[in-house]
Amino acid sequence: MTSSTPRGPGPIALAALAVWIGLLALISVWMAGASLRWLPVQASNAAPLVDGLFSFETGVGTFVFLGVISVMAWVMLVHRAEKYDESDAEPIEGNTRLEVIWTAIPFVLVMAIAWYAIQINTELGVLGPMEHIHLRSPQEQQGGYPGDRLPAEQVEVVARQWSWEFRYPGEHVSSTELHLELDRPVTFRLVSEDVLHGFFIPAFRLKQDVIPGRAIDFSLTPTRLGRYRLRDSQFSGTWFAANQADVVVETAEDHAAWLKQAAAAPLQRGLSVAADEYADRQTNPHGGWPTVVPAPPPQVNAPGSSSLPHDA
Amino acid sequence: MSSTPVPPASPSGAYGEGQHANHNLTGFIIFLCSESVIFLAFFSGYALLRLSALDWLPAGVDGLEWRMPLINTVVLVSSSFTMVVAEHFKGKGKIWLFRGFWLLTMAMGAYFLYGQAVEWSGLTFGFTSGTFGGTFYLLTGFHGLHVLTGILLMGLMLVKSFVPGNYAGGEEGVIATSLFWHFVDVIWIILFVLLYVWRA
Amino acid sequence: MTSTALSPEPPASWRRYFGFSTDAKVIGIQYIVVAFFFFLVGGLLAMIMRGELITPEADLVDRTVYNGLYTMHGTIMLFLFIFPVLNGLNNLLIPTMIGAPDMAFPRLNTAAFWLVPVFGILLIASFFVPSGPATSGWWSYPPVSLQNPLGHLINGEFLWVLAVALSGVSSIMGAVNFVTTILRMRAPGMGFFRMPVFCWTALAAQTLQLIGLPALTGGAVMLLLDLSVGTSFYRPEGGGDPVLYQHFFWFYSHPAVYVIILPVFGIFSELFPVYSRKPLFGYVYVCLASFIIVGLGLIVWVHHMFPSGVTQWMRNLFMVTTMLIAVPTGVKVFAWLGTMWNGKIRLTTPMLFCMGGLFNFVFAGITGIMLATVPIDIHVSNTYFVVGHFHYVIYGAAVMGVFAAIYHWFPKFTGRMPYEGLGKLHFLLTFVGANLNFLPMHPLGLMGMPRRVSSYDPEFAFWNVLASLGAFLLGVSIIPFLLNMISSWARGPRATHNPWNAIGLEWLLPSPPAEDNFGEHVPTVISRPYGYGTGEPLVEHQAEIERALTLQEANR
Repeated sequence: MTSSTPRGPGPIALAALAVWIGLLALISVWMAGASLRWLPVQASNAAPLVDGLFSFETGVGTFVFLGVISVMAWVMLVHRAEKYDESDAEPIEGNTRLEVIWTAIPFVLVMAIAWYAIQINTELGVLGPMEHIHLRSPQEQQGGYPGDRLPAEQVEVVARQWSWEFRYPGEHVSSTELHLELDRPVTFRLVSEDVLHGFFIPAFRLKQDVIPGRAIDFSLTPTRLGRYRLRDSQFSGTWFAANQADVVVETAEDHAAWLKQAAAAPLQRGLSVAADEYADRQTNPHGGWPTVVPAPPPQVNAPGSSSLPHDA
Repeated sequence: MSSTPVPPASPSGAYGEGQHANHNLTGFIIFLCSESVIFLAFFSGYALLRLSALDWLPAGVDGLEWRMPLINTVVLVSSSFTMVVAEHFKGKGKIWLFRGFWLLTMAMGAYFLYGQAVEWSGLTFGFTSGTFGGTFYLLTGFHGLHVLTGILLMGLMLVKSFVPGNYAGGEEGVIATSLFWHFVDVIWIILFVLLYVWRA
Repeated sequence: MTSTALSPEPPASWRRYFGFSTDAKVIGIQYIVVAFFFFLVGGLLAMIMRGELITPEADLVDRTVYNGLYTMHGTIMLFLFIFPVLNGLNNLLIPTMIGAPDMAFPRLNTAAFWLVPVFGILLIASFFVPSGPATSGWWSYPPVSLQNPLGHLINGEFLWVLAVALSGVSSIMGAVNFVTTILRMRAPGMGFFRMPVFCWTALAAQTLQLIGLPALTGGAVMLLLDLSVGTSFYRPEGGGDPVLYQHFFWFYSHPAVYVIILPVFGIFSELFPVYSRKPLFGYVYVCLASFIIVGLGLIVWVHHMFPSGVTQWMRNLFMVTTMLIAVPTGVKVFAWLGTMWNGKIRLTTPMLFCMGGLFNFVFAGITGIMLATVPIDIHVSNTYFVVGHFHYVIYGAAVMGVFAAIYHWFPKFTGRMPYEGLGKLHFLLTFVGANLNFLPMHPLGLMGMPRRVSSYDPEFAFWNVLASLGAFLLGVSIIPFLLNMISSWARGPRATHNPWNAIGLEWLLPSPPAEDNFGEHVPTVISRPYGYGTGEPLVEHQAEIERALTLQEANR
């Protein structure tokens, strides 16, 4: 442990330092790769972009973190005062060159990250989730079936306390399970009937608050077949946690078949955990404070299911 | 005071800047700066709500009448000048002239409040009339509260001026009150522009 | 003014802690004790929450109860624990560090403190109103916070807004006081660049309070009017805008994080030199970095609202400003590492807490950069990733820093030494508990578990069980702390005036100091703080002052 003489490090110490930095870099690269496994499956065209950025930042972050921790560990092991050593260390009050370096490096680093992120942002904007916000005028809400006023390919997402309803105006279909066609861009029109909700599908890496009084256009392209969870991400009251729905990404044929089947089906009670639990709470009270009464479950053609196994 | 354990530190050790100095004015200025942020918050909230509104004016309301508020504005802004005059006389030791102009300032402030009350009573909309009504009453009401506070502070200073020798060496309370009053005036000018001058 | 420092424990002394004292040192301890009472309350709520979350179903408590618990946990921990405890440290340290006899406005100080129990009781009382406490989170976003199922005028949300407003009044009173004290009452010779870093950070933090808090107060007034008298500032059906509230809220509540962490940076900057026996590396840069953080901290709030519907250019702009904060923060972290480098490190309890806090803070900084990055934030915002991140900041760094400060300055203000063994046990349990509790939240968030949920999908169970175990360990970790504080205050070994051999005006006072600190004999500061190893005295006639203090200690 002689590598820290005040005269400056010798060649062996420099080599050891280089090896150590190399090791940290290797660990960081490995972490960057491993970080992709912490995320859900990639089911939209946004997911690889977001994951790439996350992986990059995990790598950089690991390196910075381990670097700082290494210094802390080193001083704890090597620069510990001997027992009963009451003396002071050599007083070094600062070093302007070092200050400039460690101001400049983080600056360049975070600006690089920001630049990278802005690129991704732009690309994501082109790909879809660049939301367009309109104020919902009262007249619009009085309109008839949404099919009369929406582009046919748009899916209307209605968030309520506490259920999700999806309307396919072109096909005159509504459901409480979101069905999307693989590799086909889709534009949602997000509206809320009461409070803030969050439209969040982790497998798609996308999220948008649903704001009462506004209609938000939000588009994405699903890229992987499977069943995923849509979760309410903006706290919305008592049954917030149960305000979830399934998202099914299916092939064009399956999707067409589903739409056709649903269009033929009669309107029936959609899924709403909140409504079920509220009914149970009425007959079988088990404490708790008064709550907002859940909206009645939407009447839909295709209730779907929320108990089937999901991929993410 | 019993002897403290610390020995006389230095011949100049009795310096103790904080010992006797009065920091009220410093504290008050800091407070005023902070207070201005509340108004800033209300102003920006008003502007945002107004800019994003579909129908800003509630049904049956076509804007605010501005003549009476303009008179009010003139009175309030002039009261800042009468206050400066009052302070000038205090500086010269002419305490009765100070009291006179001080009282005039108070009266002008009171007239402003009266005018505000008259305006409120004649309005056709309430504070629940959309964001227009809400912000109007919030802004004018919150400002009116400050005017009232200013008048009460001035009253307090007027009473204190009768304490013998109180104003001999300058009085921080008067300076603080006058700062507050100028602050209330400036806020009103911005408010007037936002509420009455800014047309669609 | 009667000074009783020489007489052994005046009989009535403990009683002053229960009355309306105007002595900043008494108020400081009152703040800290009250804060830790609420810390236990908030911690208890957290453990019930973690008990609920140990299984995927909502089974332990009703969902409304869970929502009340997490709302009150956040509110209590911020407004009744961390702000009061830091104000307590400000009260103890600012006057003694700058050589002032007391705060600039002692009575205002008393009033600011006594508001804390008042709004604390108000908040706790909301558990007992028929509609239950506020259940819309410490953000209290409308319209969900405006929903009032029973329609009572006095409801949980009403009491919540009232409590937060009173907390704001108390904080503004405190901030005016602290800023005036620092600006006007420094010892002779103590220019700004001879001021301890803790005072710099306190000044920076309190400046943020003064700028930010009024915005929250304004927003809260409008919320209260919407809730109680039927205005529609935030009600969409009346033309209001719920997102407007979010701007008001975060304009204050993001800087509030810096109000919390800046004094903790100050504590780190004070303690690392003492226990490394070296001057603070780059003192001037560390001082200035605090104010750069203030400036930047005021223009980053929209990063809490990236998914709320803000335009792309705003997202990009606020991402850049947020990332820039990493630069002054990095300057500080590197300065602490530079301080420790080649030092003579002493791993006492306060030093362990500082190092543990720094470890957690660096981790939180990295997840902070991730959260600033818009595309990543879109995925992880409002998930457990955020919860993990800010608990690393607040518990991992800030609370650890507060513990470090308490162990470090305990001898000064109580005159007794805390026990090292219990202190180290406390550190170990806290450090392990905090990491076990908060690290699993990051994978949960990445997997897509929203925050504030009372039930979750079974795939999240594993990490939640770990987090819950960590929470219970954290609950246990407070026991050695309380034991240590109570027993060492009652019968711990007597402290000398400078048990850690530290440099600073406060260490030139007897332990505990007289009521008016230096009284008429404020020493003249002649050098920079942290002159470890330089041999330069901090003040004129330092040797005489220390000799007198030592003599006095030998005679008691």
